[in-house]
Amino acid sequence: MRINLDTPVVESREQRLGTIIAWDGKASELSKQSEYARKSCASGCGEKGRRLCEMKGPFTQGSVCSEQMVECQAGHIRDAVLIQHSPIGCGAGQVIYNSIYRNGLAMRNLPVENLRLISTNLKEQDMVFGGVDKLEQSIRDAWERHHPKAIFIATSCATGIIGDDVDGSARKMEGELGIPVIPLHCEGFMSKHWSTGFDATQHGIMRQIVRKNPTKQEDLVNVINLWGTDVFTPMFKELNLRVNFVVDLATVEDLAQMSEAAATVGFCHTLSSYLAAGLEQEFGVPEIKAPQPYGFPGTDAWLRELAKVTHREELAEAYIAREHLRVAPRIAELRVLLKGKKGFVSTGSAYAHGIIAVLRELGVEVDGSLVFHHDPIYDSQDPRQDTLAHLVDNYGDVPSFSVSNRQQYQFYGLLQRVKPDFIIIRHNGLAPLASRLGIPAAPLGDEHHALGYQGIINLGETILEILSHKKFHEDLAAHVTLPYKKWWLDQGDPFLLVKGD
Amino acid sequence: MQGAETVVTEGRTFPPLGPKTNSIQQVRYVCAIGAMHSASAIPWVIPITHCGPGCAEKQFGSLAMCNGFQGGGYGGGAVVPSTNISESEVVFGGENRLRELIRASLKILDAELFVVVTGCIPDLVGDDAGAVVREFQAEGVPVVLAETGGFKGTNFTGHELVTRAIIDQYVGEYAGGRTPGVVNVWSMLPYHNTFWQGDLSEIKRVLEGGGLKVNILFGHESEGVSEWKRIPQAQFNLVLSPWLGLRTAQHLEGKYGQPFLHLPIIPIGADETSSFLRKVVAFAGIDPSLAEEFIKKEERTYYHYLEGFGEFYSEYFWGMPAKFVVVGESAYNLALTRFLINDLGLMPGGQFITENPPEEYREAISREFRTIADDVVTHVAFEEDSYRIHTLIRQSDFGQKPPIILGTTWERDLAKEMRSAVVEVGFPASYEMVLSRTNVGYRGAIALLEKIYTTVVSGTA
Amino acid sequence: MAINFDTPVVVNREQRLGTIIAWDGSASELSDLSEYSRKSCGGSCGENKRKLCEATGPFTQGSCCSEQMVECQAGQVRDAVLIQHSPIGCAASQVGNSLIYRVGMAMTGKPVENLRWISTNLKEQDMVFGGVERLEQSIRDAWERQHPKVIFIATSCATGIIGDDVDGAAGKMEAELGIPVIPLHCEGFKSKHWSTGFDAAQHGIIRQIVRKNPKKQEDLVNVIKLWGSDVFTPMFAQLDLRVNYVVDLASVDDLAQMSEAAATVGFCHTLSSYLASGLEQEFGVPEIKAPQPYGFAGTDAWLRELARVTNRVEKAEAYIAREHARVKPRLAELRKLLKGKKGYVSTGSAYAHGLISVLKELGVEVDGSLVFHHDPVYDSGDPRQDSLAHLVDTYGDIPSFSVSNRQQYQFYGLLQRVKPDFILIRHPGLAPLASRLGIPAAPLGDEHIALGYQGIINLGETILEILSRRKFHQKLAGHVRMPYKKSWLEQDPYSLSN
Ligand code: SF4
Ligand code: SF4
Repeated sequence: MRINLDTPVVESREQRLGTIIAWDGKASELSKQSEYARKSCASGCGEKGRRLCEMKGPFTQGSVCSEQMVECQAGHIRDAVLIQHSPIGCGAGQVIYNSIYRNGLAMRNLPVENLRLISTNLKEQDMVFGGVDKLEQSIRDAWERHHPKAIFIATSCATGIIGDDVDGSARKMEGELGIPVIPLHCEGFMSKHWSTGFDATQHGIMRQIVRKNPTKQEDLVNVINLWGTDVFTPMFKELNLRVNFVVDLATVEDLAQMSEAAATVGFCHTLSSYLAAGLEQEFGVPEIKAPQPYGFPGTDAWLRELAKVTHREELAEAYIAREHLRVAPRIAELRVLLKGKKGFVSTGSAYAHGIIAVLRELGVEVDGSLVFHHDPIYDSQDPRQDTLAHLVDNYGDVPSFSVSNRQQYQFYGLLQRVKPDFIIIRHNGLAPLASRLGIPAAPLGDEHHALGYQGIINLGETILEILSHKKFHEDLAAHVTLPYKKWWLDQGDPFLLVKGD
Repeated sequence: MQGAETVVTEGRTFPPLGPKTNSIQQVRYVCAIGAMHSASAIPWVIPITHCGPGCAEKQFGSLAMCNGFQGGGYGGGAVVPSTNISESEVVFGGENRLRELIRASLKILDAELFVVVTGCIPDLVGDDAGAVVREFQAEGVPVVLAETGGFKGTNFTGHELVTRAIIDQYVGEYAGGRTPGVVNVWSMLPYHNTFWQGDLSEIKRVLEGGGLKVNILFGHESEGVSEWKRIPQAQFNLVLSPWLGLRTAQHLEGKYGQPFLHLPIIPIGADETSSFLRKVVAFAGIDPSLAEEFIKKEERTYYHYLEGFGEFYSEYFWGMPAKFVVVGESAYNLALTRFLINDLGLMPGGQFITENPPEEYREAISREFRTIADDVVTHVAFEEDSYRIHTLIRQSDFGQKPPIILGTTWERDLAKEMRSAVVEVGFPASYEMVLSRTNVGYRGAIALLEKIYTTVVSGTA
Repeated sequence: MAINFDTPVVVNREQRLGTIIAWDGSASELSDLSEYSRKSCGGSCGENKRKLCEATGPFTQGSCCSEQMVECQAGQVRDAVLIQHSPIGCAASQVGNSLIYRVGMAMTGKPVENLRWISTNLKEQDMVFGGVERLEQSIRDAWERQHPKVIFIATSCATGIIGDDVDGAAGKMEAELGIPVIPLHCEGFKSKHWSTGFDAAQHGIIRQIVRKNPKKQEDLVNVIKLWGSDVFTPMFAQLDLRVNYVVDLASVDDLAQMSEAAATVGFCHTLSSYLASGLEQEFGVPEIKAPQPYGFAGTDAWLRELARVTNRVEKAEAYIAREHARVKPRLAELRKLLKGKKGYVSTGSAYAHGLISVLKELGVEVDGSLVFHHDPVYDSGDPRQDSLAHLVDTYGDIPSFSVSNRQQYQFYGLLQRVKPDFILIRHPGLAPLASRLGIPAAPLGDEHIALGYQGIINLGETILEILSRRKFHQKLAGHVRMPYKKSWLEQDPYSLSN
């Protein structure tokens, strides 16, 4: 299925990929059921044959919306401005994403500054008469204040409902200012999973920023990442390749030159799926079709595929051999230190597949994982990118593998199933509960932490560090009350209230 | 003065900036649904949010996490119950979804009261959330509704909606008498004021020191809903803020015939705090001797520390900023400005009121600033857009040394640029860990001095 | 009297200059009495004729020692190490000095770092058997750790009493390491006034660091200062002169090239007297013999003398005229704002003379001052440097002019005499008392703040700032208890002295 860049509105993940946000079972089973996406349906969902069974229940807790993912992508481009076309409440995200932006800039040795997000601050009367005038005013303010290279517009639930012609004013202002003014359609209610927000941003970037007549740079590789430390530059140097980090912390020019690169990679298919596939489809920049670079087999395969596409096989083989040798002794030590420890992974979908692989390399038992959503397939539709199958095939099954869009009320029961010594997280909301149960969490703010060969060691060291926090959490656990009723906590099944549809 | 266009400080006029627009860059308040935190601030009360999937997470992440890392409290946080409205509820309405969620919440969550708050979507598509909540109320379920659609107001006005909802729908009618010496306190905005927990504790401590019995209502020192149930029995209401809580007190006056005392100044420092306590005690008409004894004891401790500080203050070799700027909501802004002028003898260099207070209160707020001291001229500017605030500060002339900025994380870059110090005293304070720290009363004033001058001194080398 | 650089031990101030630390009267009277040092004795002290009458009394409060001044001079040379040859107690001031050093580095735009001092940390048995080995060990440690260009040694009361041969050890280690190892004799008990410590450090520098065969640099001027902000470079640029800042925050090479300069100036004769005279005597570098650069009269005369010595008279005149015109308008405003205000100055001796001039330029009334010591004459012996006479002649008398080496118990009574609105200070110990009486203080950490024409404006602005802090001090004053008995506070502050 082709990505459609003709319309300004991105298709949601559930439409494109069949994404689900609630499921419970074994990893192997989910992998098998997802095969429909490539072959025939193995599940028995009756007339919904070509879809994964998704569970649905009456109780839900606050999730995350697509607009937030737009903030954390388009809002973190260094020489652009993001307009939040919304009431002031959606603007609350400015505080959160500013904190992240500042930390990210510091991690990447870039000058630390506040981000540039402007809320159009819609009021009650705008809901009646429309907010387009205010949008245009804010676009003009953005221009006068910062002279950015591009202006992005994030829509919101409110402007989606009142039907403001955001595309029209974007076009008008683009004509007036002579820079790309890019509407990103990301109403929170439009997709059940926030990752559609990634796609919305990437959609706009491909439509309006990426250079249409590229001059190829044969040693340039697009790396789709967030704010993580720069582990790619030294690695790619070994292969004589240069890094083009996108989307977060990039400049508009970095984004424009994506079409000139020799390949596109990422640290997580959930994030990179749309952009990488789109760049290949529109500009012939090959997406590296391989498992993600986690653990030995994943990293080996990923490097080899990158080397093949960029014609650097020999350099890659030498590098792989050197690295295996280098990391082996410390990994052996870490395995001894981590023997018998049980971990639980609760992060985004494809990322969790990678992290579990690394934990298993370290000899950590992983009997349970909660992923925030599940994409049965990625935009490339290439089986070489089937991260879940890669995990199950290389490292064995994960008996308790649940999909739940950060529903804390289910998390208690999930932890009871496997009683882990620690958890690994990336989004907020779950660690506080684990903490109240005496279980420490490692929040992987630096998304590159566990990547590649060195990532195996990094993650091992981090686990040792957080295991020592256990004292704190155990002490806390003895003194807090959970907000859940005993009745609910006593239910063995965290999915009791949800049923397949 | 017309706050918007010109800022006058010490007789100087800042050059005017272009006219205000709708734009808000670097938010300093959020929307009415942010008041879900006012529900979370009452022990064992849990909000239920009827809104899009990101709304609750955003309010929490910004008000409670990236603002002092306060945490979400019992049942609060990023994962309060939420309908996570999707397209079908937008098209077909979300009443059934809300009903289902409330019912499930009763099953799963252990709360003494649920407060349903609504976001933009249900208010726009016309859900009758009231009807749904009334069904549960009819069954005797402790649940109330506050319609806090994001475009309708700020988290300040949302706070009063939540408060009012609990009073009208949960506390209910009361015909009994009032207990002398008992006071309900309506003061700073929970969570948004980064220091609200410590501040409310200190206010409670001071009032109790004067012999009053205090319903503090928010924070862990409140007994929770049983304390709220007793609101009508109190002798009077104390509104301790320039405007927030006034509507509540007026409502209570109408509803229960309960009088209220409005003191716009949250006290910081011995003078202000002692005079605050004396005023409240006089209003209550209780025996002042207890208060006087308490004041004596507190002032002894206070001035003991102040004496130590005085040595630094008179001798610190490397000079200190003589001027200060406050960027923050009116209650803290006024309290801090008074303290720094009257107790430290610093000179005001610009007071920016940032919470967008309702028009009708603005003149009274400005007057409070004008009357701080006869020898110091202070005017305020009502500004919400940080870009404008920073431009105005940049354009000011502060003399020999740049001012201390009492502000927020948004002022960090500006302070660096001006080679001055920023003390993060309000939303958002993303570089402060705040648990029980307070800036008010006797104890808070000392902690505030510690914080300000630690920042100043560590900035020197 | 020629300065004697042949011995490693400096002659203390009381012997060289007749310095006193206690006296009470009017400024004009003290000035008259000090004339003996240049002319005949006007006093009537009987057989002590050629000395100023000095008040002494039974009660004294903690003062300050010469070793501390060595710390704040030799200890703040950037590429040297200072060894404190002493029990650990003398090293207590590493803490405060490091703070000063760090701020000073920041103020002058240099990389901020901790200072590098080493205490020999003497123990009881060392008092019996001597500490020389430990000293040598610490010198070796200093060398290995930092490879400094120079190592200074500060003696202490303890090592002075036990008679450690510090000079011998220094000589031995200098030969071993091939860098100057410089003993500075600064036992606290050896001089009644701490300023001897300045001299001790400067003595060692002239003996062992300053280049003996200088190549003259005709546009270089030594500026003897502490950590103050750089106000000299822009000023000297107007005269085509370059600045060589010494001693604090200087490099050893800056110190070595002092002999190559065309002249030496300073912001305060108390600090610069010994070094400036020594450089003139030993290397022919002229000391600028003029009043200090405070207020119009002083700054004019100082600039003219500097210009004369360096042959830049025309440039100086143009600069003086420009500056007068530039500062006048704001000065007029400041005078209005400060009208009727009363100030009190309590700082080092010569510096106080300068600050009072500036206050008078600003129209501030100065009826009282406390100086920490008084030098009847400076090392040059030149009447053009008589800063007290310059003050009295140019700006009139100060009725209550007291010498007191920071004796707080006298300070209460002194303030009652004149009831000032604010005080100017530089050393700790007095401002806290003033604060408890409701009087704000301006601590002049940046010693250059009041210097030159701009300094008049700076000081005026600073006073306005601190006057606004009066509120704080007045509130405090209502709630504190003084440690002094009421019966004492009612006495004249010198009533116990004779
Ligand atoms: S209103 Fe919609 S877009 Fe805004 S925060 Fe809520 S879910 Fe996200
Ligand atoms: S022992 Fe002597 S040298 Fe050491 S601090 Fe005391 S007075 Fe100074």
